[in-house]
Amino acid sequence: MIALKNVSISLGDFSLKDVSLEIPAGEFFTILGPTGTGKTVILELIAGLYQPDNGRILIDNEDAAQITPEKRGIGFVYQDYALFPHLNVYKNIAFGLQLRKLPKEEIQKAVGELTEMLGITHLCHRYPGTLSGGEQQRVSLARALVLKPKILLMDEPLSALDPNTKKLLCQELKRIHATYQCTVVNVTHDFNEAGMLSTLVGIILDGQVRQVGSPDVVFNHSIDPKVASFLGIAPKVTYA
Amino acid sequence: MAKKRWWQEKFNLITVSFAYLVSFFILAAIFTVVIKGFNSIGKVILTPEIQFAIKLSLYTSLISTAVCILIAIPVAYALARADMPFKSLLNTILDLPLALPPVVSGVCLLLVFGATDFGSWLDDMGLSFVFTVNGIIIAQIFVNLPFMIRVLKSTILAVNPRLDFIARTLGCTPTQAFFRVTLPLSKNGIIAGTVITWARALGEFGAALMLAGATRFKTETLPISLFLNMSTGDLDAAMAAANILIIISLISLFIFNKFGGDFIGGSRAS
Repeated sequence: MIALKNVSISLGDFSLKDVSLEIPAGEFFTILGPTGTGKTVILELIAGLYQPDNGRILIDNEDAAQITPEKRGIGFVYQDYALFPHLNVYKNIAFGLQLRKLPKEEIQKAVGELTEMLGITHLCHRYPGTLSGGEQQRVSLARALVLKPKILLMDEPLSALDPNTKKLLCQELKRIHATYQCTVVNVTHDFNEAGMLSTLVGIILDGQVRQVGSPDVVFNHSIDPKVASFLGIAPKVTYA
Repeated sequence: MAKKRWWQEKFNLITVSFAYLVSFFILAAIFTVVIKGFNSIGKVILTPEIQFAIKLSLYTSLISTAVCILIAIPVAYALARADMPFKSLLNTILDLPLALPPVVSGVCLLLVFGATDFGSWLDDMGLSFVFTVNGIIIAQIFVNLPFMIRVLKSTILAVNPRLDFIARTLGCTPTQAFFRVTLPLSKNGIIAGTVITWARALGEFGAALMLAGATRFKTETLPISLFLNMSTGDLDAAMAAANILIIISLISLFIFNKFGGDFIGGSRAS
């Protein structure tokens, strides 16, 4: 489980205020919100790339402040893929395994299995600059998954893709979630993507988490007027 | 409308003419030295004095360039990536030697090493910089280090910091992320910065003259040799030294442009 407890952070002009959020283990949790509301920063806080100014982050009930990013067991997929441009696809995917000094055969086997599953075996000798957006996305996913992370963080992984590739990758992401059984935290501003992929959706507006629930509850039965306005639906009025 | 176009054409003609005129003037000045020294360079280059100047120039410039690289890399990384207090003030201070006339830099160094307790203490430790070869090296470092830092800072700024972040999540410590990702991706900037720093070190005159003096067969680098021989009227030797410096400058400029001359001033920062 990942828990953010009253987390605040200021980064230049941008700030997150008093964010509290619980993400149960094994869920496909999507953080949905307009651009510039701090969705990516939440992922980077969970990954340990930033330390909160206030508040605590717990990963499996352990205070994350004590765990460095390299020891958190996290895979990260960025919107711009962030592939290492000086390494070919194979070396990009094998990067984490080589750091762990695993035997060469073991690395080859792990990379081979994953590239086959994602249909990118034929790209292994190519460099990132020569790949299409969809191909780069698969390589980026493979690089994160090869270490079998317990948490997979994805920052708008499908936003730069054409509709067909997006649809294909959506199916792949669902399959990957089912296969690896890891907790996925996905960030997007695309309602359809959130509805299609997620088991839980959290709405973030103005640097604060406004609502968390299943896609059905959030999209069809929102009681928060701000959330309803963001989603373009009428809020459900509850009577005491 | 036609008049406007006529003016535009005239304006373009004037600016292009200026560009050609300036280029012609630079080439004419350089070729005059090359032609004057062309006949004698083969003979003069073998004289003990020029041989000494070449060897001393290579020795001092290679050491000062190596020191510049070793210092500039961590400083440039800090300026590019770290959050620290007084960062812009620090940037300005580190740029200062670029704006100072080299002779003034030389005076500053001379006073630090020649007229302070710190200088005396170093002298007692056996590290003497005034009127010595060590002084040439320090002068070259003082004048060129800010330049190297500037090139490397722009290079590191151009590397997407998310690559470092990703490396961390894949298991790298901050040091490993630097050596496995940031440094290899800064390769072209490091090569360009190294070559141009080395060329500038070879040609360093003002600061070295003030701190190390101009003594034949002692602190006689190529530019000092050029100065001494011009002063005594030995034009052949002076032209030989000038030609060697011109050749090195041209080659360095070519390599610098090939590997990323546009890093100067941070134009590649993204």
